[in-house]
Amino acid sequence: MTDQKTEKESRVVLPVDPTRRTEIDKQRVPMSARPYRLLAMVKQDAVVRVQKEPDDTVMTWPHLLSIEFLAATVMSIFLLLMGLFINAPLEELANGNLTPPVAKAPWYLLGLQELLAYFHPVISGVLVPFLYILGGAFVLPFIDRANPEAKKPSERKTTVLLFSLFCILGLMVTFVGVFFRGPGYSIVTPLLPFFDNFTSGLHFAL
Amino acid sequence: MSFLERVDQAIRRSPAWRSLFRNPYPNDERSRAYAVMNNVFLHLHPVRVRQHAVKFAYTFCLGGLSFFLFLVLTVTGVYLMFFYIPSTTSAYSDILSIQANVAFGLITRNIHRWGAHLMVFFVFLHMMRVFYHGAYKPPREFNWVVGVFLLLFTIALSFTGYLLPWDQISYWAITIGLNMASYTPVINTPIQSLIFGGIEVGQNTLLRFYVLHIMVLPLITAIFLAVHFWRIRKDGGISGPL
Ligand code: HEM
Repeated sequence: MTDQKTEKESRVVLPVDPTRRTEIDKQRVPMSARPYRLLAMVKQDAVVRVQKEPDDTVMTWPHLLSIEFLAATVMSIFLLLMGLFINAPLEELANGNLTPPVAKAPWYLLGLQELLAYFHPVISGVLVPFLYILGGAFVLPFIDRANPEAKKPSERKTTVLLFSLFCILGLMVTFVGVFFRGPGYSIVTPLLPFFDNFTSGLHFAL
Repeated sequence: MSFLERVDQAIRRSPAWRSLFRNPYPNDERSRAYAVMNNVFLHLHPVRVRQHAVKFAYTFCLGGLSFFLFLVLTVTGVYLMFFYIPSTTSAYSDILSIQANVAFGLITRNIHRWGAHLMVFFVFLHMMRVFYHGAYKPPREFNWVVGVFLLLFTIALSFTGYLLPWDQISYWAITIGLNMASYTPVINTPIQSLIFGGIEVGQNTLLRFYVLHIMVLPLITAIFLAVHFWRIRKDGGISGPL
């Protein structure tokens, strides 16, 4: 920055043939002739403009906003239909003395509850969520510093593989917890009558 | 000029209309720019956006729809608040009466419930989309971290709301959550007494979850959302194209 400044000031501004003065020449005024101070410098465009970058922008209205409005409308209609035709679950009044046959966490925590069935609670209740939230999410951009320009999944196979593995594992335990756990949190096979542990319904509430 | 046309013109020329819509319907580039620039809601966006960023198949509108669901949940949630008291003796019957006696109560509760599940789901999907596009890479690391906070807040909002109907589903789901929290080494008791207000789910838990659900978490989420959206523009708009 300072280098540039001194360089610019010490440069002799040669008179240019007025007919050949371009826009950039017109801006070249000796420092001393300016009635204002230099507060900041902005990178100047190249003196010789080889080619202007193609303008790949479109107007936000209508191009982006119309899509957003449409998405919001479709979502509204979907929610209205859901609200009209499917009632939110509600069971009996809470009773701390009566454990229901199926007691499950909400689906987004059911993976953890499923892990509780396999591992020591400190592992499934603390270590794994900690690892997922901290390692898998918060510090991901600071671990994956390989090549900032590599955006395509095919250019960053390790990261994509590891992250996908994390996701698939999480999805799998959640899936088992949601669909294959029945009364008393025992393993069941819902809706398939030829299994021994068959149950006739699904055992989760949304 | 027909009568209707005259009424139409009179409305459009009235001071009230012109204070509301300061520009005519935007048809040229200049007025379209003003439509965004002069409108506080639309001004989340720049006047122009890059071509690839408006492709539906790039974002699938997942972030935008998560935000829309947040708004829907705020509106329906405020309506439900008018008819709900967070007390173990009345919460459940309040829900019953919302469903039976309150005008549009049932559909409002349904939409609030389904919207909440959908929001958690969409925020997950949005995170996947951001990951597979490598959109967490510089300069967007910070916004990714803001996003992870948003995910946690979304889950916390959903979890705290889950208790409020005070039925068997909610009671036992939160009890399982409380048990999980009790395995945390060192800070388990502070967590339990601070967030759950005791060693078992009761009136304290209900009141705390209620305050978190309707006040603390929505406010924090709104602040983080503001930062999230502001960062998108500071980071040069949507990432890509791939
Ligand atoms: C309440 C939850 C959230 C809302 C409402 C939200 C909203 C948005 C919106 C509207 C965008 C614009 C692009 C798009 O629609 O995809 C966006 C971009 C982004 N979000 Fe979120 N977001 C949320 C959660 C998250 C989470 C959980 C993460 C990641 C952990 C995240 C990380 C990002 C990043 C890095 C961008 C920039 C993407 C790009 O430039 O392509 N956000 N968010």
